[in-house]
Amino acid sequence: MKTTNNVFRLFLKGKAGVVGLVILSAFILVAVFAPLISPYPPYERVGTPFEQPSIKHLLGTNDIGQDILSEIIYGTRISLLIGILSAGVSLVIGTIVGMTAGYLGGKVDAVLMRAVDLNLVIPMLPLMILLAAFLGPSFWNIVLVIGILSWASPARVIRSQVLTIKNKGYVEAVEVLGAKPFYTIVKHILPPTMSIIISQLILMSSRAILTEASLSFLGLGDPTQKSWGIILYYAQARSAFLTDAWLWWILPPGILITILVISFAYIGNTLEEIVNPRLRRNVGK
Amino acid sequence: MLRFYTGKITQYLILLFLASTLNFALPRLMPGDPLLYVVGEDVTLMSSEEKEAMRTKMGLNRPLMTQYFAYMGEILQGDLGYSYRENKPVTDVIAKRLPWTILLSILNILISTILGIVAGALAAWRRGTKIDLGLGTLMIFLRSMPSFWVGMILVAIFGANLKWLPVYGAYSMWSDYTGLAYTLDILKHLILPLTTMVILSVTSIFITMRYSMINILGEDYITMAELKGVPQKRVKYKHAMRNALVPVVTVVMMNVGYMVGGATVVETVFAYPGTGRLLFEAVSNRDYPLIQGCFFVITLCVIGANIIADLMYPLLDPKVV
Repeated sequence: MKTTNNVFRLFLKGKAGVVGLVILSAFILVAVFAPLISPYPPYERVGTPFEQPSIKHLLGTNDIGQDILSEIIYGTRISLLIGILSAGVSLVIGTIVGMTAGYLGGKVDAVLMRAVDLNLVIPMLPLMILLAAFLGPSFWNIVLVIGILSWASPARVIRSQVLTIKNKGYVEAVEVLGAKPFYTIVKHILPPTMSIIISQLILMSSRAILTEASLSFLGLGDPTQKSWGIILYYAQARSAFLTDAWLWWILPPGILITILVISFAYIGNTLEEIVNPRLRRNVGK
Repeated sequence: MLRFYTGKITQYLILLFLASTLNFALPRLMPGDPLLYVVGEDVTLMSSEEKEAMRTKMGLNRPLMTQYFAYMGEILQGDLGYSYRENKPVTDVIAKRLPWTILLSILNILISTILGIVAGALAAWRRGTKIDLGLGTLMIFLRSMPSFWVGMILVAIFGANLKWLPVYGAYSMWSDYTGLAYTLDILKHLILPLTTMVILSVTSIFITMRYSMINILGEDYITMAELKGVPQKRVKYKHAMRNALVPVVTVVMMNVGYMVGGATVVETVFAYPGTGRLLFEAVSNRDYPLIQGCFFVITLCVIGANIIADLMYPLLDPKVV
């Protein structure tokens, strides 16, 4: 079993993971200190509409005269938060499903895995659009819709890890001694699965950020809390791509989404290579 | 063989059952008047007598179970309700748009599968070289970009700035092209949305193909064939390629839903008149019956694509079934 220290040491060896971590930290700093960094309040009209970039407004202004740079800086908060929170929701469900299926096995496992298969066939984005449209645009609705529908793939990964652990002698020993299933799971199966859960959480965050951007781009996001996706929604709605405005209104939010998603993916992949025995075996091959 | 297919068919039936039940339940579970979700926001303009008449007409006063069976019966007959916005049955509205999405999706699946397989095999054969590293990095980037944003950038560059390609719709409006000119016009309109879709879809196929190929190339029988003096080209194409393709087909199958779903966003950017764009329009208009209809029809398409893939599967891998 890998200790946390060990995982950390191995992680620092992988260049991609460290790069990802540095980038992500930068984004987190921007999100936390947004009020200090951003030149203007993001939701106030501080200029005339459609201003070109200038010393006053480095990325110009949008269709109602808000400073785009400030919008983007505050957008970091929303995009990052929605990504991590919805990944959190999907990991809670995925962990419960994966643990139950892997530990109990038999019919429960068969039914749960059937549900996972179903989940992978459904056209997920249209389903999310349907639910988000009915629930109405709000920060938490987006978090819930993405979270509740994205548990299938982490559930599968966690289940296979549980199966590996279950076959080790000590779990059986605890069971023979009369431990209740819940106790066994929490005490003996959850801790060694934790590192996989965390790597999945990070990988799911990167996907959730992209999904949130898509939903917001379709006009399902909360317009009072603008994420990068919502900024792009307004840019599209005002046809910014037909003028030079695409250079400062469309390009920057998309580049930031891409970089943030890559940083999560780098961290997640590096972690997963370390903690997932099935992948590690193939690393040196 | 039979068990494989009965299992798959059960899965698809369960999915259809769940999708239609969800569509039935959503308007009735939401707080407030279900009529809002049937008629749309125009409901606020109606008098209470009109509302009552509408409720009776739509059968919303009947017991829930009766409504449910009636609803399921209608769906079996291909009736997906009525769009008051469009003033047409939902099925009619969608039927007009569906061919475009099917065209876009089929071309996307074909092109991204071929590109992904070729690039993946190339990366695997040249494992560890600059080509492998370059392709890998490129794919990570493509995978991390929001597809609608890629579309917007393509529109800005090739449409608005260079004016090489049309960026709006599936064909030129106010023109009466026929025959070859019409086909060319449609192809021109396809290029940018299709490129965006391929960028979105190709990466997972590439990753699977590369991984699967690397594993196969490490197998004993490949080494054996090489030792026996079978020409290298023959080993690559005949022995390795075919076996490496099996997981790729699985991934393509698993991703059909993702690809067709992705069309929603891409069609929206290019105002491409498919079901995806229709879904966006329905969302903007809060046309709930149409939103539900689009979701249901897209699900049907995905199931159809899966069935085709299921039928092809045994041709590639006789072991599985």
